[in-house]
Amino acid sequence: MTETASRPRPARETLEDVYVVDADVHIPEDPAGLAEYAEPPWDVGLREIAKVEERYLDLPGMTPRAEFRVPFPGGSNRRQIVTSAVELRTSLDELEVDKAVLFPDHLLYLAMVRDPSFAATLARAYNQWLLEHWLLEDPSLRGALVVAPQEPEAGAADILRHAGRREFVCVYLPASGVRPLYGHRQYDPVYQAALESGLPIALHSVEAVFPVFPFELNEFRTTLGAHAVAHPFSMIANMVSMLETGVPARYPDLRFAFMEAGCGWVPFILNRLDKEYIERRREVPYLQERPSHYIKRFFFGTQPVEEPERAADIVKLYELFDGENQALFASDWPHHDFDHPRYFFGLPFSPEARRKIMGGNAVRFFGPEVAA
Amino acid sequence: VTEHVVCRVDELPEGSHRVFRVGRREIGVFNMGGELHAIPNLCPHQLGPLCEGGVSGALDRGPHTGWKLAWIWDGEVVTCPWHSLEFHVPTGQCLALPDVRLRKFPLRAVDGEIRVSV
Repeated sequence: MTETASRPRPARETLEDVYVVDADVHIPEDPAGLAEYAEPPWDVGLREIAKVEERYLDLPGMTPRAEFRVPFPGGSNRRQIVTSAVELRTSLDELEVDKAVLFPDHLLYLAMVRDPSFAATLARAYNQWLLEHWLLEDPSLRGALVVAPQEPEAGAADILRHAGRREFVCVYLPASGVRPLYGHRQYDPVYQAALESGLPIALHSVEAVFPVFPFELNEFRTTLGAHAVAHPFSMIANMVSMLETGVPARYPDLRFAFMEAGCGWVPFILNRLDKEYIERRREVPYLQERPSHYIKRFFFGTQPVEEPERAADIVKLYELFDGENQALFASDWPHHDFDHPRYFFGLPFSPEARRKIMGGNAVRFFGPEVAA
Repeated sequence: VTEHVVCRVDELPEGSHRVFRVGRREIGVFNMGGELHAIPNLCPHQLGPLCEGGVSGALDRGPHTGWKLAWIWDGEVVTCPWHSLEFHVPTGQCLALPDVRLRKFPLRAVDGEIRVSV
């Protein structure tokens, strides 16, 4: 007793004490930079695109999007891009982020690029540019290897070309505006290549108004409507499609993550599918267990983290899909809706759950390359 | 309560705002049409640097505007650079969240200097 009583109380854990892996940080791929790595004649096109003034996530020729917003004054005046590995590292130091996984800016829209050959070229060029200009510059920056869904075979070849490079820690599939959805058999070569390379798969969504299911969001007149719905719709549609064709049953050793849609939709679709499964198992005989059992083995980016009025509700929400073990802290820095690690750290999770979500789960998902 | 000199009056022309460190706090001081206002440079949402944001007006629509879209409070609304949460500076009122109102620090211009009470 005396011994226990005299033991000094451990200091309260602070954000600095926690190892933070940021599973989603964005960099701006500039078209002139990509041109250096692009096959002819697409290098010529990229240099032409480079002459156009670039705006936030809006570069004609590279970001297909329907933009109907009237520009009233106001809104954030923050510069929402970082232009070098050094600048990024400095800002990540301010955020207390130890390791970061880099995703693109404009190539969030890659699935909506119409010419398959251009899309595949963009992906290939970006991966090489990412490696040389960012990942090799700073070992605390790791990369997501982009695949253009329009050319799965080319994507698979690019995965295999970079196989064994420690700088790439996952394959990124652009999830918004994609047709067909990621359960389609045409993507099997991508999954096979990822499996052979030991890389997990991360689907990443973006606000997309595009004439394919379920992205026909032009019925909304506001960004609030389109943005709120685009991300979870994108994830729900792709996840259901993947379960329909048994992707997680056919690739049981492949890890999957769903980035940038928050987590609120996960308990909903998990319970909805379990209910359907009771009656319709015969339609999905690949599945040997309830759909929720597969979903609870998927990983989910935290951002944009839900902000319920009662902060404790976020803990309940995460309990419903085993978020303590399956959620990956993601800031989305430097984008408009980024979450500050300090904010996430302040949520009422247990210290153990917080350490897992802010770093430990990322090591389980991405692998030892993101470990301390 | 202590009065702190933050700058000279002529260093904060009408329509401008600046952030000052006062002790351990950062305070945003605004000159809106000759009226001075001081609020914390700390957004209550995710603790972003609120007063580094731009000043503009806001869109409004309700029974008080006859249900017509209206541009109101031009030059009186600061927007947080982190997540675009808007605040009406003269009242400290958050536009999106009725239960959130910023603390306002008393301040005055004396002998050509702006003095903020903290």
